[in-house]
Amino acid sequence: MSFTFLFRTFTREAVKSNICLHRVQSLHTGCQLLAADKALLMKLRKSSGYTFINCKKALEKFDNDIAQAESWLHEQAQKEGWSKANKLEGRKAKEGLIGLFVGDKVAAMVEVNCETDFVARNEKFQQLVREVTLATIAHHQSKSQHETGYVKSFLVGDELHGLRVGEGSSLADQVALTIGRLGENMSVKRAVTVKVPAEWHIGSYVHGSVGSQTEVAMGRYGALVVFEGGEEGEQNILGRKLGQHIVGEAPLSLGTVDDLPCGESETRLMPQTFLSDPSKTVAQFLRGKQARVLDFARFQCGEASSEETQ
Amino acid sequence: MIVAILITSSFLRSLSAFFAKPPAQLIQTGLYPYAALPNIRRTFAVEAKKTYSREKPHVNIGTIGHVDHGKTTLTAAITKVLADAGGAHYKKYEEIDNAPEEKARGITINASHVEYTTANRHYAHTDCPGHADYVKNMITGTAQMDGCILVVAATDGQMPQTREHLLLARQIGVEHMVVFINKADAVDDKEMLDLVEIEIRELLTEFGYDGENTPVVIGSALCALEGRDPELGMNAVMKLLEMVDSYVPLPKRELEKPFLLPIEGVFSIPGRGTVVSGTLERGVIKKGDDCEFVGFNRHFKSVVTGVEMFHKSLDRAEAGDNLGALVRGLKREDVRRGMVMCKPGSIMPHQKVQAQVYILSKEEGGRHKPFVTKFMPVMFSLTWDMACSVTLPADKEMVMPGEDTSLSLTLRQPMVLEKGQRFTLRDGNKTIGTGLVTDILTMTDEDLVNWG
Repeated sequence: MSFTFLFRTFTREAVKSNICLHRVQSLHTGCQLLAADKALLMKLRKSSGYTFINCKKALEKFDNDIAQAESWLHEQAQKEGWSKANKLEGRKAKEGLIGLFVGDKVAAMVEVNCETDFVARNEKFQQLVREVTLATIAHHQSKSQHETGYVKSFLVGDELHGLRVGEGSSLADQVALTIGRLGENMSVKRAVTVKVPAEWHIGSYVHGSVGSQTEVAMGRYGALVVFEGGEEGEQNILGRKLGQHIVGEAPLSLGTVDDLPCGESETRLMPQTFLSDPSKTVAQFLRGKQARVLDFARFQCGEASSEETQ
Repeated sequence: MIVAILITSSFLRSLSAFFAKPPAQLIQTGLYPYAALPNIRRTFAVEAKKTYSREKPHVNIGTIGHVDHGKTTLTAAITKVLADAGGAHYKKYEEIDNAPEEKARGITINASHVEYTTANRHYAHTDCPGHADYVKNMITGTAQMDGCILVVAATDGQMPQTREHLLLARQIGVEHMVVFINKADAVDDKEMLDLVEIEIRELLTEFGYDGENTPVVIGSALCALEGRDPELGMNAVMKLLEMVDSYVPLPKRELEKPFLLPIEGVFSIPGRGTVVSGTLERGVIKKGDDCEFVGFNRHFKSVVTGVEMFHKSLDRAEAGDNLGALVRGLKREDVRRGMVMCKPGSIMPHQKVQAQVYILSKEEGGRHKPFVTKFMPVMFSLTWDMACSVTLPADKEMVMPGEDTSLSLTLRQPMVLEKGQRFTLRDGNKTIGTGLVTDILTMTDEDLVNWG
């Protein structure tokens, strides 16, 4: 009994060492190349963030030259972004963000959509929203330079995609690039820009704000209010309160100061009950502040697409 | 004969379990009656409605990952592999993806539910498409997740938004993560798979998970679905399930906790004394146990001298039982509905809490208007209701319907509240939202003044 046991252990050991030897050999032959490859691949993937498969292709193509590989990847990303964008085109994108920028007497508000709200929280997506907002405002400023009155313009779809960002590339290219990176369908839905004369003011409010971008505010709801009057130095707060009311109560039209409120479902701004002071209507509140609302715009993320499906 | 006994016992158990279970599982039992019960199923091929078996411990599990990495395919593959073994009802990709029942129901729990049984456990599998869906499910309690499968495609590796996925898993308290590296059939190089694995382990560690010891399974859900390449297909899925079985621990059962009976009614029985009735929330009550009454600024101790259910006395009542308890020396005026009877010292009344709340959208029957700080709804929890005042977090000015938010709530009077307790907020005749207590806060003088 003990003899057979001994014998068995012996054979097992022998087999084991045999396997080990074999392993060492096989490792030895392929070792050099693979190790370098692996470390480089890891490095390239970390620094560039492109997919494993593309990083590997790039390294193979340029014989492990990391600089060349990276520049090739950047070129490739644009192309791949477009093909991916075409592939994903039909998918529903109704999450996303509203980007809002208020400058000196000008403002822009845009909506950019994506498929899941995970992506909306991603920095790269927020970067895209920022670029879209800034491109819109630049476009608007160059177009309405010589105008002195009130200018309000809406942009949708193709007009927006054609806008230029920085050196030559269009917004559509930027969107495709981001699609390639994040792998979700995205679209620049709509934009509204306003420019006001010197004595008017622009108020704004973004609800549920996210992101670390400082100049462009982002969130799921946004509102722009154009108004005049109000006490000196308090216009910012007034504009914000009005914007907040518009986001919250979702008025559809302006109405007039003399309109009488008709219950809970009031859709005109003036006779609505004011959000931060329920004892007054908006008209009464404005009278108290000696201000007058002239126009407003409200964006809710994904609202138009939900209407379409209904 | 044996089978018959099995059925009756399991039926009785599921009947009593019906009362014990939280709403989530009620939904599951109601909607998905295809309980996997292999041995009985084989005997009675034609059965009108299958009974839900509670013979195996129940665990809630979910999948997260990028949209294209095959979460739904994996879910379908799991049901297929287990259906072959008799432990699941095979659901096709389209069935899971569209989940028509989910869409048809008014309350949009935007997650598809699938259930299956492994050798040791029964699982409810949740697949939520977005961040908001997970948070909503966590708050309303329709699908707490005890563990999570992170799906990553071997071709892409982790995506930039995988960070957001992990962050969320942390937030909603998922402590156990199992990784499935999918689409391994599309990658011919073993080294690449290793790299994907290394990278995902690093990321897990970065987010406070045990990246070193997290089980990682490499396979292809598509292979399993199409029934080819069993090494990457079926076997990998089986291995994944084994890992989930062993790595995700069982949630603590209600029976092991100190008992808590929210009081629904008080009756005096001439010649015997006063009886309190209600459904035992958790724990076990025995004749002779010490007990404590808490709520409405009252607080006193006594002893349970008898436990009754359906006019029959019993020695021991378990969580979920609808019971009456005879209490020594209790007068009818001493207690009222809304107070609780509990194990002495196990629970305290509180007046101010921090909570995570989901506000119903208009479509779900909530308000159509937002609210701001100082809003005063009525809070309903256990059997009590109490007016409370809302304070929004510093970075928020208002809350829109359809959003989830953190709130601090101050009650008019201290009531029984503890971490993890669920409640509903109502205003007039409308339900505004539902929430989960995340922290107990102490009252400040300012709060007291505000209620004066």
